[in-house]
Parts: sequence; structure tokens; C-alpha cells
Amino acid sequence: MERVKKSMTGFLVPVLSIILAFLIGAIIMLAMGASPARAFGALFKGAFGSAAAIGTTLNKATPLIFTALCACFAYKCGVFNLGGEGQFLIGATAGFCAVHLTGVTSFPGILLCLLTGTLAGDIWGLIPGILKITRGLNEMIISIMMNYVATLFMGVIYTSWCRDAGMPQTASVDESVMLPRVIPNMRFAWAFVPAVVVGLLLYYFLYWTSSGFKLRAVGLNMTASRFNGFPVKTYILTSFIVSGAIAGLGGASDLLGTQYRLINGYGVGYGFDGVAMALIGQLHPIATVVVAIFFAALRVGSTSMQVATKVPTSVSDIIQALVIVFSVAGMALTQLPEFKAFMLRLTSRSSGKKEERKEA
Amino acid sequence: MKKFLAMLLCGSMIFGLAACGGGAANTSDGGSDAAETAEAGEATHKVGFILNSSINDGGWGTACYTDLTAAVDADPDWELAYTDSLSQDGYYDAMVAYCNEGFDLIYAPGGEYTDAVMQVAEEYPDVKFALLNGGEDIPASAKNENVTCLLPDATQIGWIAGALAGLASETGTIAFIGGMELTTTLAKYEGYVEAAQYVAEKEGKTVSALDAVYANSFDDSSKGIEFANAMIEQNADVFFGDASAVDSGARQAIDEYNEKQGEIKVFDIAQPADFLGQNDCIIGSQVTDNSSLLSLVLKSVADGTFKAEVTYGDLENGVLSIGALSDSLSKDVQDKYLAYIEEMKNGTFMS
Amino acid sequence: MLGFLSNIIYATVRMAVPLLFISMAELYSERAGMVNIGLEGLAVIGSLCGFLMSFITGSVWIGILCGALVGILINLIYAYATISLCANQIVYGMAINILAPAVASFVYRIYFGDGSSLNQISLMKTISIPGLKNIPLIGPLLFDQTPMVYLAIILVIFTAIFFNRSKAGLNYKAVGEHPKAAATLGIPVIGTKYLACIICGALSGIGGAYLTTCYSTTYTEGIVSGRGFIALAAVIFGRWSSGGILIACLFFGLCDAAQIRLQVSSLSIPYQFFQMIPYLATIIVLALVGSKQAGPKANGNPYRKEER
Repeated sequence: MERVKKSMTGFLVPVLSIILAFLIGAIIMLAMGASPARAFGALFKGAFGSAAAIGTTLNKATPLIFTALCACFAYKCGVFNLGGEGQFLIGATAGFCAVHLTGVTSFPGILLCLLTGTLAGDIWGLIPGILKITRGLNEMIISIMMNYVATLFMGVIYTSWCRDAGMPQTASVDESVMLPRVIPNMRFAWAFVPAVVVGLLLYYFLYWTSSGFKLRAVGLNMTASRFNGFPVKTYILTSFIVSGAIAGLGGASDLLGTQYRLINGYGVGYGFDGVAMALIGQLHPIATVVVAIFFAALRVGSTSMQVATKVPTSVSDIIQALVIVFSVAGMALTQLPEFKAFMLRLTSRSSGKKEERKEA
Repeated sequence: MKKFLAMLLCGSMIFGLAACGGGAANTSDGGSDAAETAEAGEATHKVGFILNSSINDGGWGTACYTDLTAAVDADPDWELAYTDSLSQDGYYDAMVAYCNEGFDLIYAPGGEYTDAVMQVAEEYPDVKFALLNGGEDIPASAKNENVTCLLPDATQIGWIAGALAGLASETGTIAFIGGMELTTTLAKYEGYVEAAQYVAEKEGKTVSALDAVYANSFDDSSKGIEFANAMIEQNADVFFGDASAVDSGARQAIDEYNEKQGEIKVFDIAQPADFLGQNDCIIGSQVTDNSSLLSLVLKSVADGTFKAEVTYGDLENGVLSIGALSDSLSKDVQDKYLAYIEEMKNGTFMS
Repeated sequence: MLGFLSNIIYATVRMAVPLLFISMAELYSERAGMVNIGLEGLAVIGSLCGFLMSFITGSVWIGILCGALVGILINLIYAYATISLCANQIVYGMAINILAPAVASFVYRIYFGDGSSLNQISLMKTISIPGLKNIPLIGPLLFDQTPMVYLAIILVIFTAIFFNRSKAGLNYKAVGEHPKAAATLGIPVIGTKYLACIICGALSGIGGAYLTTCYSTTYTEGIVSGRGFIALAAVIFGRWSSGGILIACLFFGLCDAAQIRLQVSSLSIPYQFFQMIPYLATIIVLALVGSKQAGPKANGNPYRKEER
């Protein structure tokens, strides 16, 4: 009963937040003199209106799913890894360099790219991890700093070391290593599949294996776990490595699936977006995947909305931000002792009433 | 009951928050007029315009947008919609959105959109695409033969600015700020330098150019400020650029420097429209009138004669020209400059 | 040589001043135990508002004032959620970083519509102190600046005195170190935290508005360009003291100025390596110093009155 109630609020808060965010979006549109119904219709049509549109949405969701799962896994172990963006980009950069410099093509090339990407991602994740367990440093600040280093390093690659002749970007990867589309007339590439598989694997690991249980226990209460003799430091390090690897794999597969080359502006905001999505998904891997697809749809649809109704895309950005603002606040609210006591009083009163009725 | 109360609580809290957010929006909204939604009349054809900077960046974006509006306004068959301030991963989405809305033509003003244009062009064979400054081989390599390239002669653009720079420079050092190291930007820089040196030699002085710098951005005006300051330190006294809002930043820094000196000592040559008067330091502009090229494209799409080809623009066919010249240039300099432009038209310049 | 030196120092100061305001905002926030990574967003909305109000009213001072007010308003969302609802501070800061730029770009688009002319304002005038400004090198640096620069210097001095010499400052710091103990001493913990958020919002709004009223005559979406995060690094680098932060900001400003000049002089070292210095330096300093002195002890923790 208690669990059901918990998952009910876990479900209710994000849904309510989404509804409210859309309501406010609608008010803004009305104030602008646009029709919210038409705008949201265009938004929906742009994101899901055709097989091709759904494909675009899934494609856009792919990198977000990876960074969101990266955040999700780390937080389950009580580790605030905000470095998803850096790990993602370093994965893409390393994966690119591996295939570009070795010239390996077709399937071995794909494998090489994904492997180097994953490896680079977890090394990038390891640095804040090591600093946390050896020097006790706050992993959030370190991983934010690492994001910038990764972005700038990618800049060095595409502006200086591996640049294409005409533009500040690298050449595109060889055609034989580009991931094909899953279904020919839908735009999404095979990169989407590992994203979902990673989500399912995480779910299985976290909820159905004993190490997964222990990892969650560490995340819930580090001190108690330490008393129970859990190797807490090992778990923390593992979660950094694994979450870094997920993001790195994401970078490499996004590179092969849609991006093909490193370019200015690639990956901006993916990391923080991932964190927000993981939180809205209540740190549940499968819910996180769903939330990431939802946000991708909002993004893809927002341009259609702007084109069809002249409502600026920033309205969609505002809606996305409000979803985050509301759901995080809402979740915090349900954790408050005052709120819990309030709920408890309500429950006892209504069950008391039931008993009264029975007596009567 | 309890669910209802929980919802009520969440709701009231959230509206509290919303009030804050809304309040913020209102205060900064000030006395804004209601949103301007450009209501176009009954038009049979639609062109979509995408841009990675803003349409009021005072440089590249502004010029491309006004060129397109001029072409569209002249042609009652056409109406225009735009999406600006796009991020790199938004180019594709925006163009797909226009394609799905049934637009007939999409105009992408820059070589950096090439990848996205080619991809969308392959997926939407019925939609036509116009790419400004794409490579010469692009139209032929598009599978559906639906991409045309507008290619104003970048070297001549460089010459037009370079000749003026060669005449105007007193310190003998000229500077160039680019947005990205695009092929066309490089060609502009090279033309700028060679024309300046040629003209200076004829005038009996020597001019050397600082290496071109690239902001890797079209919308960070602070980069322009800092670049211009650093280049003025290196004695540069004529600036030319190819970087949208970054150029505006550079002009601001030049104006500030001139103000400190008490006279206009450092000049700027604007492009790609006539920006004389926008800043005090502007002595002339290199004007690229893409609207005439665009008008041709619009017509060809409307009557079904659209061809996947490269259309060049130069001084001879009137796409390139010079803007008004500042009064601070002496009559003598202005005449000499016009003579050089004539030479460029005849093909006798530097030959 | 002297010219080059004075130019680079001048550029350093120009880069450091907005950073200083934003870093000070974070200092006031973290001293009350509130880690706010939403500085970037606050600065963006501050820069827009500063520009817009100066554009409308023609007075840069009104612009800066409005930048501060909007910074406060947006930061109150953060304050309410993290102080009263005990939401995670980092996550909420991030939410602000997503919300504020979206609102800014929306307002800009609504106000200026489809017009394509460049909107410019005239910047704040410099005030020079006659006589003193003729001293070579430091003259123009210290005595020929906009009032905002003098304000920034006063802010640094005031902050140093406030936190180290005044009773109020010590109480304020106690909230960030041991909120429970502070509460038993009768210090209003919740009130102090809200005050911290108001100061933080105001200062980062001013930092953003500085960019559009004293530095660049136009508003572009990329104007803040990561300064909010560098400010975060500056606070750590400066070891949570106002003097330290001043040095950190000057150092980061110097890196920025050097980076620009490196590009102009076209050396073969990729300029990105210079841009990395602030971040790498922060990581290295943190790694060397360790967590012992890693700022206020209760930093980032929610404060609940009735803890189990």
C-alpha cells in the first residue's frame, strides 16, 4: 500500500507539472494573440505527425536518453555527476579520433568508435570520482569544470588538429561506419536502440540484482551502508565509471548515428538536460527514457509550432523549463515533513471516517 | 479527497511560482506593443528562411533577411517566414518543419548550413533549396536536383573592401575579423589583402595585413570588442569583417577608441549592406544585393523553371556594389576609389 | 612594451568586472549555505533587462536597477524552492539556467518583433578623476572608469569588512557553517538564507546588466557566454574570501585577455588551451587544498527546522 502510494505521487507530480507548464504556455500564447490549440496541435504534429516526424523525435531523444541515464545511474548511488555533457562530448571526440586517425572502416570501425567512446567517457567520469573518494571534493563542481574542459578540447580537435579544409569542423566519418536507419522511411538511426537497451539493462541491474540493491542502498543512506560493511567507496567509484561510460557510449553512437562530424555548438546543454530528465523520471531508468523522448518531442515540435503559428520557439523552451521547475519543486514538497504529516492526518481522518461509517 | 487536496496544494504553490516568473516577464516587457504577427495576404508560394544569428544583429543576419524581404515584397506571389537564433542541431529540424508546412523554397544564407540542406533536400525532393555561399559542386551533387547555390564572388567582395582599405590606411596595417573559417571568408580575406596591397603600392605606400582572426561565433559581440581592441594595439587602422554581431562589437570598440583619440583615426568597412551612418567609424560599405539573385530564384520556382545550378554574383551583373562613402574621405580618395571599382568591373584591376 | 602591458591590464580589468559582480553574488549565496549554479541564467536575464530598460528609458542606471530587480525576482523562485521546499540546490540552479534564458529570448523577440534594424544604446559614461588619471599605467586603470567599476571595488572592500569584522557578517557566516547552532543563538536562519538569495539575484543581475550597459552597446543571446560558470570557479579559486575572489577574477580576466591576443598574434598553440585555464586551475587548486577548507560547511545542504 505504502509503495503504491509512493509511486502514485511519483507519477502524479510530473504529470501535474507538465499540465501546469502547458497551461502557462497557453496563457502566454493567448496574451500574444495566438491560438494555443492550434499551436499545440502544430507542436504535436511536428513531433509525432508522421513516421518521419516520429523518427526525428527518436533521433533527437537518443543523446538525451544517454545523458539522462548517465545522471540517473549516478544519482541512484548518491553521486551527483553533473558531468554528463563532458563525458558525452569526450566520448564523441575520442570515438571520432579513433576512426578518423586509424582509418578502420565498416563494422570493426563502428566497434572501435563505440569502444573508445565508452572508454573515454568513463575515464572522464573517473576523474571527479577519484577526487571525491581520495580528497573528499564535491563532485558537482569538479564535473561542471570538466564539462568545459571537454567542450574546449573538442574545439581544439575541430578547429586545429583534425579540421576539414573549408570550415571549423572535422571531416565527416567514413560512410561505412555511419549507422543506418532502423526502418528506412523513418529517420531514426540504430543509435536509438542501444539507448533503450542501456535503459532496460539499468532497470534490470538496479531492481533485480543484489548488487543493484546494494548500490541503491548506498545511494539512500551512505552512512548506514558504511556501518553495514558495504564497500561504499568502491560503489561510488563504480557508479562514476558506469555513468561516464554510458554518456561516452552515447557520444560515440550519436556521432555515428546522426552527427557524423564534430562541429561548433555540438552537444550544448545535453548534460544538464539529462539531469533534469532523470529527476523528472524519478530516477527510474525506464521512466527516464520516456521523459527524454517527451522532451525531444517538445524540441522537435517547437520549430513546427513556430513555423505554423509564429509562436516563438522560446515559448516551448519556457514550457520545458517550467516542467523542470514545477516537478522538482513538487517532488521536494512531497518530501517535506510538514507535507508528510499533513498527508498522514488526511489518511487517518478518512480511514477514521470509514470506521465510523462501519459502526453506524 | 486527499488526492484533491494534494493537487490543490501543488497547484497553489505552482501558481505562486508562476507569479514570480510571470512578474519577471512583465517587468521586462515594459510598454511593449502586442506581438507583431506579420499577416501576409493571399500568397500562393511560401519561402522559409533560417538563420543561426538574429535577424537584427546589425550585420550578416540583418542583410540577408532584408534582401529576402525585398525580393518577397516585390513579388506578390510569395510570402515569407523565418526562424532565427538556431543552434547547430536545430538547422535540420527547422527546415523539416518548413517542408512539412508545405513551403516551396527554403533559403539558407551560408556555407555552414550545407550538411543540413543536403540532408533535407534528399528527403524532400519537391521542395527547392537556395544556399548562399555553398560550394560550386553542391547543386550537381544533390540527388534530387533541388538545390541551387548563390555565389557572390567572394574575391571581388574582398577587393572592394581592400581597395578602400589600401587608400584609407595611414598606419599601413589593416585587419580582418571573421566569424568562422569558411571557404568564402578565406577568399574574402585574401581578396581584401591583395587589393589593399596593390592599391597601396600604386599610391606609393606599403600596407600589410594582420592575420585574420576568427571568433567562432556570429553572435558574441564581446568577442568583436576584444578582437578590435587587440588589433588596434597592433596598429591596425582599417577593419573589415565577416562575422554578423561580432562585427557590431568591433565597430563599437573602434568608435570608443576614436572617441578617446578625439578624431576618427580607425575606420571600418561594413558588409554586406550599406551601413554608413550606423557607426561613426564606417567609411564605406561593400554591398551584396542578394535580393536580385533571390528574385530570380523566386520566379524560377514559381514558374517551374528552377534549375540546380550555381548563380554567380559580381560587380558586373550588379549583385556586388559599393555603398555610400563617408564625407570624411577626401574627394580625391573617393575619385580614386571609384576608378578602381571601374577597373574591377572591366576586369583590368590587378592585371 | 609599456603600451602592450597597459593594454593587456586594461583588457583584464574589462573582462574581470562583470565576473566580479557575478562571483560576489555567489559568495553571498554560498556564505549562507546556498550553492547557486543558476548564475548564468540570472546574468542572461539581467543583461536583457538592463539593455531593454536602458533602450526604453534612455537611462543606463534604470537599466541596471531593473537588471537587479529581475535577477531578484527570478532568484526568488530558486529561493522558495530550495529554502522553503528544501529542493536540491544544484538541480534548481540548473532549472533557472534553462528558464531564464528562455524568458529572455522570448521577451526580446516580443519586444523587437520582426524588425531587423540593429538596436543600440549608448553606454555608461566614464568618470575620470582629474590629475590622478594621468599617472602612467594605473592612472587610466583606476581613475578613468565607469562608476560601475568603482562600485565593484567598493563592493569588494565592503564584503571583506562585512564578513570579517562585523557582528552581522559573522552571524551571516554562521548560517552557512552551522545553521542549527546559529538558530539556537537566535539568528534567523531562514531569513538570512532568503536575504542571501536576494543579494545573489541582485548582484548577478547587475553583473549581467553591466555587460549590456557598460560593455557592449547591443544585446545578443551569446553575450554572457559562460561567465556564470567561471564565476562559480572564481569563488572556489578565491577560497570564499572577497580578496581572493578579486584576485581570481583578475586572473581569469587575464587568461581571457591573453587568449584573445594569442589568436590575434596567430601562434600555433590552439587558443582553447588558454580558455581551459580557469577550469583546470580550479580543479587543481581544489585537488591540492582538499575538502578541509572547501568553503562553508553546510554549503548545499537543505535546512530543516525539525530534523528527525
